[in-house]
Amino acid sequence: MSPTGPTGPTVIVEASPDTPLVWFDVAIRGGASADPNGVEGLHRHAALLARRGAGRRARAELDETLDGYGAAIDVSISRDAVTLSGLALTRHLDAVVELAADVLAEPMWSEDEHARLLRETPQVLDEIRDDDSALATRWFDWVCCPGHAYGRTSLGTEASLARIERAAAVDLWRREVVADNLVIGLAGDVDEAAAARVVARLSERLPKGPRPVSAPVVPAETARGRRVILVDKPDRTQAQLRIGHLSVRYGDQDTAALAVAEAVLGGMFSSRLMQEIRVKRGWSYGAGCALRRSRLPHWFEIWMAAGIDVAGPAVALTLDLLADYAANGPTDDEVDFARSYLVGAMPFHVATARQRMQLAVRDAVFELPAGFTARLPEALAELSATDVRAACARCLDAGSAVTVAVTTADQARGALEGAGAGALTVVDHDEY
Amino acid sequence: MTQSWQLEAEAAIGRGVTAKRFRLANGLGLIAAIDRRAPIVALQTWYRVGSRHEQPGATGMAHLFEHLMFGQTEELPPGEFDRLVERTGGESNAATWVDWTYYRLSLPARDLPLGVRLESERMQHLVLEPVPVEAERDVVTNERRERVEDDVDGSLDEQLMAQAFTVHPYRWPTIGWMEDIRALALPHIRDFYRTWYAPNNACLVVVGDFDERALLSLVESHYGHIEPATLPAASRIVEPEQTRERIVRLPKPIATDRLLVGYKAPGQDDPDWATLEIIATMLAGCPSARLYRRLVIEREAASSVDAQLTPFHDPSLLRLAVTTARGHGADEVIREIDAELAAMAGHGDGTGKPPSRGEVEKAKAIAETDFWSALVDLDGKAEALGHYETALGDFRKVNAIAERLAAVTVDDVVRAVNTYLRPERRTIVIAEPEPDSAEEAA
Repeated sequence: MSPTGPTGPTVIVEASPDTPLVWFDVAIRGGASADPNGVEGLHRHAALLARRGAGRRARAELDETLDGYGAAIDVSISRDAVTLSGLALTRHLDAVVELAADVLAEPMWSEDEHARLLRETPQVLDEIRDDDSALATRWFDWVCCPGHAYGRTSLGTEASLARIERAAAVDLWRREVVADNLVIGLAGDVDEAAAARVVARLSERLPKGPRPVSAPVVPAETARGRRVILVDKPDRTQAQLRIGHLSVRYGDQDTAALAVAEAVLGGMFSSRLMQEIRVKRGWSYGAGCALRRSRLPHWFEIWMAAGIDVAGPAVALTLDLLADYAANGPTDDEVDFARSYLVGAMPFHVATARQRMQLAVRDAVFELPAGFTARLPEALAELSATDVRAACARCLDAGSAVTVAVTTADQARGALEGAGAGALTVVDHDEY
Repeated sequence: MTQSWQLEAEAAIGRGVTAKRFRLANGLGLIAAIDRRAPIVALQTWYRVGSRHEQPGATGMAHLFEHLMFGQTEELPPGEFDRLVERTGGESNAATWVDWTYYRLSLPARDLPLGVRLESERMQHLVLEPVPVEAERDVVTNERRERVEDDVDGSLDEQLMAQAFTVHPYRWPTIGWMEDIRALALPHIRDFYRTWYAPNNACLVVVGDFDERALLSLVESHYGHIEPATLPAASRIVEPEQTRERIVRLPKPIATDRLLVGYKAPGQDDPDWATLEIIATMLAGCPSARLYRRLVIEREAASSVDAQLTPFHDPSLLRLAVTTARGHGADEVIREIDAELAAMAGHGDGTGKPPSRGEVEKAKAIAETDFWSALVDLDGKAEALGHYETALGDFRKVNAIAERLAAVTVDDVVRAVNTYLRPERRTIVIAEPEPDSAEEAA
């Protein structure tokens, strides 16, 4: 990784001539967690609108030109960044980068597209409500830790979308798309000279002002006590389950220890959750857990899709497993095994130039030291089982676990109420 | 090369990588491609058995094996397969589709011998006993609930194939019908294993950082002694030509209509398959594609549209998937699809344009990007080699089909639309909001 100087974007280049393709990611720090209160969805709206016409080209011409190169420029929104991702055949790289530079520096901010996007977004909500897994995640994000910035939806709600104004999107873009606020990653068939040219093109027309100060995102206190949100949807044969609580940030002092902890509990096929839920009981096709990787403290989350007839027992067993694990942590043998797995797996995560670039961009967005993730194996080597158990005790909390179940209330309510998961609230699946 | 191996074919696969196909006397195929850009290997074992090789009443058998093959063997106690792979940092998985089943190991390069030993062991010595089989049966029924019963797209997909095919085995789902999964009997499960899991029905694909001579020696030492099986004669079931449109409607707890439209299309080895792949891209494969622009942007009648041509050995479907927008319905979308296809066929109603050379070149540029994207990592290269070798009989067809895509012309497109994308050749399945859901969405 190489910052271009005391000011300017952070730049990451991973060259590889394996294929005649170049990928570039432009991460704009900020992201959905910085949406104004009550205007959730603004970052997403601004980014998609910027992509719908820029420079001299309206949306249709921009799409036509990109497709003609066999290229793509896509927009994605995370809690911590808006990312413009490009893919181009090497011979078209300069032309495609020019189009991306237009999107960054000179969006058209079409009134028509603004109105169209406001009509389209509620339909994305419909699609989420039609998908049990996506719906469970959306609800879990909302209810896991009320008041936490990561709990606010990046997509928005019908109410918040109604408050989005074009001028606010324009203002957000002008404030956040400044050179100092960007992380630019390049990977693939690109040499040093071409990389320098691409970085210059992407950033030279942007304002040179300082990085904006993000809206304060202060993690709320963890809500105490267990609770269950049953998202009622008709005709379900299963319960899509999410169980978890607020934990720590990726990059925290416990990151390496938690990587081991998460592998033992639910990060491998031989993990405790897979063995207890799937292998021994056949209750769910899969069961796993992860600490959400983000710049600020985020959720520790367990997921599975249990048959509706075993949803209650599955929740009860999972909470027992989590409580035992938080109290006692993994055994020495489990720590050795998981460490061997994680160290051995690292070459697969950095095998391609694009993977290396994306990991480095993520570390930069999270404001971690360069190479933080790539050096995790070194940190893992120094860990003791005692370290991992201490991290489990500090970072896992079955007593505050929130359970979200997308299922049919008539059939699952009684069993979930008896699962020891706390007070149960039933909500309708299209309520949020 | 050791004397037991016969080199059968050799071809470049991407930049700087050459793939070679070798064969042992017992029929085992081995495709080896050295790629030393990372200290890892992809080891995949492809079996020429998929759901098309099942019998009515015993559907889901091939997919069940995708689960059972990770179980106990004569040498490995339950769970040991996964533990051995995970201790290295590697990953294992498997996939089943209509024409094939394959088992994937991603391993550190130094652990390739372990991978070959494990794959050889489970090809020969899988232990199929009642308790573990019942446990996996439960897991598979839950997988089916998650992917089909509780998933509107999964249930639409299943119904499309069930309605579009009347006699061909593509008519049943790869995961199997629920009642069949529950009824698969242990003796039949054991018979299936003995019938299909044999060296002359398999091809190993190894891509990554290894020494070719050492690999040949290693594979021969683990597989050379295995006797070939007597394989059943290949099925020659031919689906009768479809002459009437078929439409099915299903009530679902969804907000708006969703539809799948499947047009009968040739198998992947047919020269017209490449033309239809270009047509699929022209219809919905990019932001400027015809149906995306018409349905999503101009009419705002849909929130999403997708086109996919299935890469099957036998004739299958070009599928259009559409989620309608609020206030719009499936019938309106079908009319718009018809108008766009009529324009592509050269006899439109004036609301669409005939295909141009520039439009075809655009789709070919996207196909070129897709081709290279599929070859970026070792697993992708191995999957491409394994699929073409297993489904079409020759891994070199990965390049041949890329060449066919690059050669498609406007005339090819017009002819293929007129030949294949006709209403009488299509099946439509529509998921409609149940009455309660419809009221809430309104």
